[in-house]
Amino acid sequence: MYDLAEKALQAAIKYGAKEAEVYIVKSQKTSVNIQKDMIEGAKENITTGIGIRAIVDGAVGFSSTNIMSYIDEAAKNAVSSAKTQDADPDWKKLPSNQKYPTVSGILDRDIHNMELDECIGHTMEMIDAARATPGIIVTSGSFSRSHGERLILNSNGIEVSEEGTGISGFVDVITNEGETSTAYDFAISRKNDIDFAAIGKNAAELAKKSQNTISIEPHKTEVIIHPFAFSDLIENTFIPSIDADNVQKGRSNLIGRKDEIIADEKLSIYDDGLLEGGIDTGIADDEGVASRKTTVIENGAFRSYLYDTYTAGKDGVESTGNASRNSYLSTPSVGSRNFIIDFPSCDIVADTDSGVYVNTVIGAHTANSISGDFSVEARNAFTIKDGKLDKPIKSLMISGNIFDMLKNINGAGTDVRKVGGTITPSIRVSDMSVVG
Amino acid sequence: MHSVDFFDTRIIEGTTTSIVLDNGKIEQISVNFTKGAAVRALKGGSWGFTSADGDFDVEKAIRAASELAVSMNDKSPKEKVKMQDIASPVVSNAPKVKKNPLDISLEEKVSNLKEFGKHAKKEGISSTSAVYSESSYKVMYTDSTGVEGEYDVVRTGFAISAVASREGLYQAGRESRFGVTGYEIFDKYNASELAEEAANSALQLLDAKPAKGGNMPVILDPELAGVFAHEAVGHASEADLVLEGSSVLENRIGESIASPLVTIIDDPTMHEYGYFPFDDEGSQTKKTTLIENGVLKSYLHSRETAAKLGGTPGHCRAQGHSRPIVRMSNTYIDNGNSKFEEMLEEIGNGMYLIGSRGGQVNTGEGVFQFNAEKGYLIEDGQLTTLIRDVSLSGKILEILNNVKMVGNDLKMNSGRCGKGGQLVPVTDGSPHLMISEAMVGGA
Repeated sequence: MYDLAEKALQAAIKYGAKEAEVYIVKSQKTSVNIQKDMIEGAKENITTGIGIRAIVDGAVGFSSTNIMSYIDEAAKNAVSSAKTQDADPDWKKLPSNQKYPTVSGILDRDIHNMELDECIGHTMEMIDAARATPGIIVTSGSFSRSHGERLILNSNGIEVSEEGTGISGFVDVITNEGETSTAYDFAISRKNDIDFAAIGKNAAELAKKSQNTISIEPHKTEVIIHPFAFSDLIENTFIPSIDADNVQKGRSNLIGRKDEIIADEKLSIYDDGLLEGGIDTGIADDEGVASRKTTVIENGAFRSYLYDTYTAGKDGVESTGNASRNSYLSTPSVGSRNFIIDFPSCDIVADTDSGVYVNTVIGAHTANSISGDFSVEARNAFTIKDGKLDKPIKSLMISGNIFDMLKNINGAGTDVRKVGGTITPSIRVSDMSVVG
Repeated sequence: MHSVDFFDTRIIEGTTTSIVLDNGKIEQISVNFTKGAAVRALKGGSWGFTSADGDFDVEKAIRAASELAVSMNDKSPKEKVKMQDIASPVVSNAPKVKKNPLDISLEEKVSNLKEFGKHAKKEGISSTSAVYSESSYKVMYTDSTGVEGEYDVVRTGFAISAVASREGLYQAGRESRFGVTGYEIFDKYNASELAEEAANSALQLLDAKPAKGGNMPVILDPELAGVFAHEAVGHASEADLVLEGSSVLENRIGESIASPLVTIIDDPTMHEYGYFPFDDEGSQTKKTTLIENGVLKSYLHSRETAAKLGGTPGHCRAQGHSRPIVRMSNTYIDNGNSKFEEMLEEIGNGMYLIGSRGGQVNTGEGVFQFNAEKGYLIEDGQLTTLIRDVSLSGKILEILNNVKMVGNDLKMNSGRCGKGGQLVPVTDGSPHLMISEAMVGGA
């Protein structure tokens, strides 16, 4: 891998790049699929790909391929794309001179070496646990384990090489007697520590509990939002506003609002690339800047946007280590790392006299990511009466604005979950509009 | 040789180029060249699947997939899966590319993008972006029963967005056009005018009022009604979901499930963005009527689901080298004979919902949600106040039965559809629809 990267870097310089960067990933993934209570089959994917960024007068050209004999051609394409563009005076330079921290909990040899038998075993644990609840079918689901390596080299001396593992389980269930109701549960980890039976059990019990629904009238009330629903909303409405690229391009509600109180004073939010065992943990971001922890909201005050090297250069600040890539096929852009929601916890349902509890939402991606307005369909929602979940609700829309919500948070549960990169407890918000 | 019941291979090779213009400046030019194979093997009731990148060895990939299938079949045996037998597909009536994008210089593409992108920058617009993308792929299919086929496809398109802001209020307008066409897409559509339209939408929304939610009669414009056809009906018609037990349309073929005014079709042979001459398991495509005059006629099938439920395969698709699953192509509600003016008159008071910011569906419970770009209050048959941040949700079967008028102005819109973590190009469309009662949500 190192030799290929070195070769690509030299080729880009040879064709006329002033600076160049090579990003190579190699990943191996095994997954087992569930269809209607049965294991349908297994998948093995091995992917290797290379992405080359070439910079000429601040203009960035990019080319990628998965054909290693094509590397020279790709380097040439990247350089000629860069030359087609006008100079960009905002470009400073690719990262250099980084001191990398140590991180832990992201590589587990048990996952790397896991045999197919064990993969099947974990998948069966989910199915069996779900079916232990009568009247439940597992409609679909999957188990997966992966091992990946990435290498980043640039012409300013950056060299990052890191490997990691991941494991996850997911099931979607439906009731097959009484009122039709569905539910899902999932877990994802870097270590071989997932309780697969709990995934099946939780989904099945939630679907069951969601039967015999009632309708409710439109009103304003306290809403407790489960980590699944809250992370879905925050990723689609709040995170885009703190992306420095959106801020610089006039697409954020938080332009010029640094140090302003934007949330309840008990709320803090951190972006942390170093979190032990975090899904987005690594020694560096996807362009080789050392990972760090950034305070986004501190006791209600907005403190920082998230930057990659380019946007940081434009604002004259340091990158926060938030360059992120979906795959070798794309250039890095600003993305959150482990996004941690921090609010003093309590027994949140017991603490609520009346309101609504929402497990998941559908349609969060349709939110207005600039204004923060959203209107989504809530699933597996319940009324709360005298500190207890009372009746499941048939159909419910919740709508609001993320910035109003941040100010109206008045409680959080003890049930912190790692929902992909977002780490959050259940969150209670006052005065939300619900339409039944 | 391969101790399996069935296997197939799909080799895909091609290039994509995208150019991103942001606030008038080229932000990125990206050229990708990829090649890979996707291989499936079936033993008994178990599937093995592998994919290989770059300079691969297909035989090795077939062996790996076969080993997985055999091993899964030993460890968790189950009912044998039968694949519907098919004939080798014939590629006829393929879209003709007039201007191959690979023959046009990068410089020309860049200057064209800059030129039309400029038109989105109107007074009051704080930020604009425009994207051009093209892809050119060759797909080669073979299976162990001797089926083989091959086709080339070129897709191009562009998208423009504009953000208007005023006193902390932000609204966006978007326009995009994608198709199975070459660079002549810029002859078919006036990109500069569309850029201005995106800007006008954003500016107009600054003065819109937030919606007040509730149950009411609504008119859906062709774009939003097309999203309804796709999200609410199309997904629930996918036979893999039906077999899983997660579709409200299970066991309802032949039943009247919608107003008799409703006919919904999925047609991969149309020369729209969702076009493909044969699907990703070699099946020839043809027009499929899902609902005809309110009666559920057919699901969408793969070879596996067609063999199991009885039906015609041809709707099994994959993103790149992923595993093919049952998907839509070009999905639309067919024309009726009502005029928009007649709908306004009929409805009296309600809401007119326009455009779409996307949607999502829970096919098991038959519940959907989607967001309109904007809307108008309808008062005494007149469009009055402009509304923003308005969404629609409901039960698929209730809404289908609540369709009271179907327009005669079918329009198609291109986009991409996600399922099982895979995105594929699709179009959806509809004429205007009048619905007697629906749940509208607002801020």
